[in-house]
Amino acid sequence: MRRAACLLFSAFFLAAIGAAAAGLKLEARLVWATNDEKGGPNCKPLDGDLAGKLHGMFKWKSYFEITNQLACIPVNKTRDIKMSAHCTLRVENLGGSRVEITCIGEGKEVQKWTDTLTPPKWLVFGGDCENNTAWFIGLRSNNPEPNKIISKN
Amino acid sequence: MKHDLELKVQAWLDGELPEHEARRIGQWIARDAEASALAAELGCVRQALSRHEAPVTVGESREFYWSKIERQIQREAAVPGKDSLPWLARWRKYLEPAAGVVALTCVILMAVMQAGSRTFDEISSPGDGMEAVTFHDQSAQMTVVWLRTAQNQSVPKNVRFEDEHGTVVDLE
Repeated sequence: MRRAACLLFSAFFLAAIGAAAAGLKLEARLVWATNDEKGGPNCKPLDGDLAGKLHGMFKWKSYFEITNQLACIPVNKTRDIKMSAHCTLRVENLGGSRVEITCIGEGKEVQKWTDTLTPPKWLVFGGDCENNTAWFIGLRSNNPEPNKIISKN
Repeated sequence: MKHDLELKVQAWLDGELPEHEARRIGQWIARDAEASALAAELGCVRQALSRHEAPVTVGESREFYWSKIERQIQREAAVPGKDSLPWLARWRKYLEPAAGVVALTCVILMAVMQAGSRTFDEISSPGDGMEAVTFHDQSAQMTVVWLRTAQNQSVPKNVRFEDEHGTVVDLE
């Protein structure tokens, strides 16, 4: 009984340390919103829960995914995620699911944002485009949720 | 009569008292009728027991019987005690709880650090000539940061949200 409790505690502790040390797995999606039914040749309809959430908050008829990037950022490191020829995200993993995100448009810093990204939360940047369309960049952590780490052990 | 005095009478009868105390108790029994009656009764019981108690005899000789006890004592003395355990085994009983306490402290520290870091959630710093409007949708677990130029002060288009009364508001 004592040995089993010891093993259980060790497994939980190692999983927690491992999750913290493994870095932040980040999913970034560039989305174009329009009232047209069809997107461009490089567009595909946005799927997953982000589509439902954008449809719930905004009134554009269609949402098309332009880019879908995955990145793994170690603690206290910074990675550039190129979303398009005009837009790059600079993401710094501050540890403890905290990130500092710098939106860079046309080589110029547009916005700096510090937030806690815990699944399944989406952080979405957006702005107007021409012809009553809009762009969105959705960011989400793909790390397992803390309560799921515990349940695995 | 007090219980300790009854025990004294019993001890006097069994010859277990020192000489001077036995003399004192004997004089007291001779004077006191109740003590005398108790001594007589206990004496009768003692006599009855000594007459009717079955004698216990050991089948072996006296030397063999005691040599068995001696061998048993020597055998138990030969078994390694706690002092002969390896140092790791001796320290293990201290190391295990200490490691548990250290691990628990680390986990609590990590939890506190994570909880503490949430106190400065969402720090926004727009670039030059830019402004940001933030929407929170708690039910959808989504935060939207709407970026616009400082010259363009119009509200975001095509947004639907619920106001404080739960009414759905559309901005077009």
